[in-house]
Amino acid sequence: MNEKPSAPPSPVAHVEVKAALLLLLLLLLLCGSILYVMYARGVFESTQELVLLADDSEGVRPGMDLTFSGFPIGRVRRIELDADGAARIIVDIPRKDAHWLRESSVFTLTRGLVGTTSIKAFTGIPSDPPLPDGAVRKVLVGDATAEIPRLVAAARELVQNLNAISAPDSPLNASLANAQAVSGKLKERGALEFLFGNEAAAKRIVATVERTQALIARLDALTTKADAQVFGTDGVMNEMRATVVELKATLGDARATLKRVDGLLQEVQAVASNARGATTDLDALRAEVEANLRKIEHLVDEVNRKWPFARDTELKLP
Amino acid sequence: MSPSLSREGTLSELGRALLRWLAGWWRILFLGALTLVLALSPSTYYRANRQALARNIYLDTAPNLLWFTVLSALISLVLIHIVVVTAVSYGLAQYALEMVVRVLVLELIPLTAAVFAAVRVTLPNGTEIAELRARGEFDSLQQRGLDPLQHEVLPRIVSGVFCVLMLASVASVLTLVLAYLQVYGFTPEGLARYTRDVGRVFNPPLALIFALKTFFLALAVALIPVASVLYDLPRRARTSAELQGLVRMFLAILLIEAVSLASNYY
Repeated sequence: MNEKPSAPPSPVAHVEVKAALLLLLLLLLLCGSILYVMYARGVFESTQELVLLADDSEGVRPGMDLTFSGFPIGRVRRIELDADGAARIIVDIPRKDAHWLRESSVFTLTRGLVGTTSIKAFTGIPSDPPLPDGAVRKVLVGDATAEIPRLVAAARELVQNLNAISAPDSPLNASLANAQAVSGKLKERGALEFLFGNEAAAKRIVATVERTQALIARLDALTTKADAQVFGTDGVMNEMRATVVELKATLGDARATLKRVDGLLQEVQAVASNARGATTDLDALRAEVEANLRKIEHLVDEVNRKWPFARDTELKLP
Repeated sequence: MSPSLSREGTLSELGRALLRWLAGWWRILFLGALTLVLALSPSTYYRANRQALARNIYLDTAPNLLWFTVLSALISLVLIHIVVVTAVSYGLAQYALEMVVRVLVLELIPLTAAVFAAVRVTLPNGTEIAELRARGEFDSLQQRGLDPLQHEVLPRIVSGVFCVLMLASVASVLTLVLAYLQVYGFTPEGLARYTRDVGRVFNPPLALIFALKTFFLALAVALIPVASVLYDLPRRARTSAELQGLVRMFLAILLIEAVSLASNYY
């Protein structure tokens, strides 16, 4: 315990200065601590905003980090619900670290079995345009604990299927028994008798095969003969070749004949054009004759009117 | 005596005890308010009083600062080592630092500083005040026209508060430095990550609760021992008044701790 005399107090040299120094030290410590915590909280950093949309924000807390390759490059500022009921995780990214995030960056939200949830960013194409301020991205949720019930359910289903398969009355067992019976029959009687059920049918098949073999031998002989007839020295092919040569000569003659016919046709065309010109002249002649006839008819009418025997054509009223 | 009369007597005794207990708390609160008003009043800081204040602050804090710093550094080193080694062995090394900061800086150091200051400074101050009253020096001060509250009580309460704040601040900063050195060693390479981890722990609500807790702990340990002996009669069992002050102080510390823990983790 401090033993301080009550009165009079023992004098302490420069007590006010010492007390002032202590006060100053306390002030320094308090202000330094406050400034350090503010710096650590990123108050003095220039940041840009990134909004991550998640179906479930469980485990996400304000202040937690967004990591890129294990390095913290952002900090969750706020979590809120949007109009559609999805969680909006608002992350502050310091501008000096923002270049790690690109348009094509992917964001994941991972919940571990032990420890806190973590938000990670992955950038596959570093040459993509940088992520703009206020960008909104969907976050992919990878939940280790959420996988366990699904895994257990799948494993249970698998075990049930295996049990069903390996049961004594299962279709697989029955199939195996059948296969065993089949292999026994195969061993005893051979494949043909097994396939057709009785011995007679198997014999017929063997006879058919033998006859087919004989038929093939005959066909072989036939083919040899046909070959000699078609491709032999006096074969059809040689004659065909000679015929083709003759046909080529005949075609040459025909081509010359056709050329002559062509000349003839040109001449006929010239005659036809002359005939067309004559026909045009005939049309003009006919027009003139018709005009003359009309004039003569007019003249005859005039003569009839002026002639004394002309009939009185005037109508007189009574 | 009939049983009913005896029961009534017990009840009335209990009622009186409760009233005394509540009156004691009221006196403490009243003295706290009075001290605050006096501390904020410029008329308190006349030359003689200023010297008394400076003397109390220096004599109460400076001799304890070194000892407490050394002790808290040793205990912190041991605890940090235990926490880090345990966390690494469980594969949770990334949470070791956060745990060290939470357990030591936020919880243990303010409490230790408050208890240390109570034992070394404020409880002896309470005894001194009780002795002064017993010797009748308060009356003589009043006869000389001096306010004993301003002249004797206020400097002791202010120095008690200052002592707790000083010890807690120095030990906290030292523990943060030691934690960094234990985890990263003598290299500045881990400073950025360490700063980020510290920033993650000290979110605004937690920092506010930490500051309030430290301040109220300091106020409790500085005020209660003095207030408990100030208003009781000098001749009436002085030891019992000091003991009462001690119990009240630990009750207040417990209450502040409980409220801070509930605010932080619920």
